[in-house]
Amino acid sequence: MIQNRMLLFMCLPAIAFFLLFSYAPLPGIWIAFTNFNYNDGIFGSPFVGLKNFEFLLKSGQLWLLTRNTILYNVAFIVLGNILQIAIAIMLNEVRLKYFKKISQGVMFLPYFISVVLVGVIAFNLLNYDTGALNALIVQTGGDPVKIYSTAGAWPLIIILVQLWQSTGYGSIVYFAAIMGIDKGLIEAASIDGASAWQRIRHVILPSLKPTFIILLLFSLGGIMNGNFGLFWNLVGNNAALFATTDIIETAVYRMVMSQNNFTTSTAVGLYQSLFGFAIVMTANWIVRRMNKDYALF
Amino acid sequence: MKRRIITSTAALIALGISATALTACTGGDGDQEGGAPTEITMLVLGDKPTNGRLEAMLDKLNERLVEKANAKLDLFYVEWADWQTQYNLQLLSGDDNVDLITTATDWLYAWENAKKGAFLPLSEDMLKENAPKTWEQVDAAGDWELTKLDNDQIYFIPEDAYTQWTNHGFFYRGDWAAQAGFANGEITKFEDFTTYFQWIKTNVPDAYPWDVAGANEFALTGYLQGHTDLQTIQQITAGNYFPFQTPEGDETDVTSWYMEGDELLAAAELAKEWNDIGVWREDALNYDGVTRELLYAGLTGTDQHHTQTFVGQIVDNMTTKQPGSDPKLFSFGSENGNYFRDIKTHGAMAVSANSSNPEKALQVYDLLRNDEEAYNLINFGIEGTDYVVTDDGKLGYPEGYDSSTDGLGANFWAGRMDEFELPRTSEAPNKDEIYDALDADAKDYPYSTLVVDKTPIESTLAAMSGVLSEYIPQLQYGKFDDPAAAIAEMRQKLKDVGYEDARADVEAQIKAWDEAREG
Repeated sequence: MIQNRMLLFMCLPAIAFFLLFSYAPLPGIWIAFTNFNYNDGIFGSPFVGLKNFEFLLKSGQLWLLTRNTILYNVAFIVLGNILQIAIAIMLNEVRLKYFKKISQGVMFLPYFISVVLVGVIAFNLLNYDTGALNALIVQTGGDPVKIYSTAGAWPLIIILVQLWQSTGYGSIVYFAAIMGIDKGLIEAASIDGASAWQRIRHVILPSLKPTFIILLLFSLGGIMNGNFGLFWNLVGNNAALFATTDIIETAVYRMVMSQNNFTTSTAVGLYQSLFGFAIVMTANWIVRRMNKDYALF
Repeated sequence: MKRRIITSTAALIALGISATALTACTGGDGDQEGGAPTEITMLVLGDKPTNGRLEAMLDKLNERLVEKANAKLDLFYVEWADWQTQYNLQLLSGDDNVDLITTATDWLYAWENAKKGAFLPLSEDMLKENAPKTWEQVDAAGDWELTKLDNDQIYFIPEDAYTQWTNHGFFYRGDWAAQAGFANGEITKFEDFTTYFQWIKTNVPDAYPWDVAGANEFALTGYLQGHTDLQTIQQITAGNYFPFQTPEGDETDVTSWYMEGDELLAAAELAKEWNDIGVWREDALNYDGVTRELLYAGLTGTDQHHTQTFVGQIVDNMTTKQPGSDPKLFSFGSENGNYFRDIKTHGAMAVSANSSNPEKALQVYDLLRNDEEAYNLINFGIEGTDYVVTDDGKLGYPEGYDSSTDGLGANFWAGRMDEFELPRTSEAPNKDEIYDALDADAKDYPYSTLVVDKTPIESTLAAMSGVLSEYIPQLQYGKFDDPAAAIAEMRQKLKDVGYEDARADVEAQIKAWDEAREG
């Protein structure tokens, strides 16, 4: 305790942050079980039990929404991590310093582009009447395609956009982890005659495993939270695409927007958090069974 | 010497403290002579202008308010981006920085927010004392009844002395309609727009017949209004949709044009025909262009909004930006006279339950509404810079004024008065004619005093909103190959989520309200 004083001190801002923004508002969950009014406040408003959760079940869409949300997240997590690791390793192998820096910068950039802009760019590329893609198809003698009414195309588009936006940013963590690998190990492998691929396969990848597992466990916690901004800006109110693009957030936004009812949205938030909590606990339990050192707790 | 300095300093400090204490005593609500002016903040809806005109106006207005009520006004904007959520969140947060709240019973959740305790109940004495002129006028018109909940308390002040028409309709070009074969360029039937649209498609290749963007259901509701006698109950929404209607003459028989009758199918088939013609973009659902700007640029043949917009903006802008375009208005429901006079609480002002200075807030409102100088400032701006009064007594604009960039944007939609409104040079010259023609057939909205308790049907409405938001946009833009099958599917889903129970509940509430009203 005493020897870690400095470390603990450095943790203080983070602890304060989580206490203030994650733990202090926890009692507010109560709002999900009340018929809230301003006069009585959160704890004085009449208790209504699970009534605020009713519409989710009533809508008959709970399964579709949960499935879409989870599948999208699984795709984001799996493909995202594979790409991030691949890019971090490739960058590490590049010897040309300037090339390395510039390509890192270029891959990082999309992260800073607002999803609103991404939505506009996508529309300008893909729309039927004036989109660049269809202009190209028509110019080359083909028939224009109706992408905005083809539900099947959207999982691919959404996943591609998400990867394009997040890969550069996500690869930084892996890149840092590679930097942290004992250089001696890699050198020893080289001296023993390991090829580049063998060094990656037998030294670098195993060293990235703990980072991968921790990041995986973190992202599993948010598996029920879709990337609302991305979906909303790409798909918006286009009901023709809902079958493959509707996630919990977008559906709830449509259902409770303008209803002036915050209790139902809190109820949904609680459902998502509990589900995420259960998934993290399960995944962590599995990881601990397999290798205790890699588990979060 | 030193001692004397110390003594005098001590005396000065003592004097200072007592003076501060005295000021504190008298300056509490700023009511007394000489106290600091009380800051009153008014929540308005709209995009905050950045051209400096608003601030200049507020400086001048505040001189007047300080002189008359020892108060200053500041505006808090809830901007149009996501306003529905932001507005209610602002009230939910219980923010005590806001004193006056712009509200409305038909589009700004006045009843819900009153019930949830966001507004301060206003006693008669409080109103008489602090807003005497407003009290008198509203009382003389008998309109306080429109602002009371069942506990008989007044919750807001209606904008009841200002004539406005908020029924929607198509704005279209008379010159193109004339060339499409309509006598005088006038279209009198909703279905006849097919001919007009087709003509544009063939003859004006640069323009879309109706370059409509995103959320819009007027291809359906415009038709339904003119082909049924159903009136929509404005108080109940399912998301962005108004699911409940009643037939004319039977105000307690609740139905839904989404659920009953063949008219929805007829409307959807017409929309499909329009979609096949190419009236709007193939991807209209994702398109976010500004139809009005396109209309001004000659790139769309149609736009839609309410009469007030047509009279106040469209005619003037089209006359200057598209000379000879002969802008016209087709009011939805005009075929069968199925449209309504505006309700008097389409604009209203409430005092926040958390206001620290409710009395002063009312005094400020009374001045904004009834003091001609303050009224002109908040509504029109500074004379000479923001507006001029022409020789023939009209309100016009100075040389070089451009309404699209020079607007004042104070958005005082909660206390306008016909008494102080001058005819404007920018208004449609035949404004009176348009208003008179509308007035001739218009019906009074029967549910002005109806307050619906949505608690028991809240979850059903939310689930219905989920269903409607899936089907209505696709029907509106003619995207289903088989509209009849889609409507049948939608109706079944609405039934499954509890439509019938919600309908029965609303009907029971309306019957109770009707009995109480008559009893």
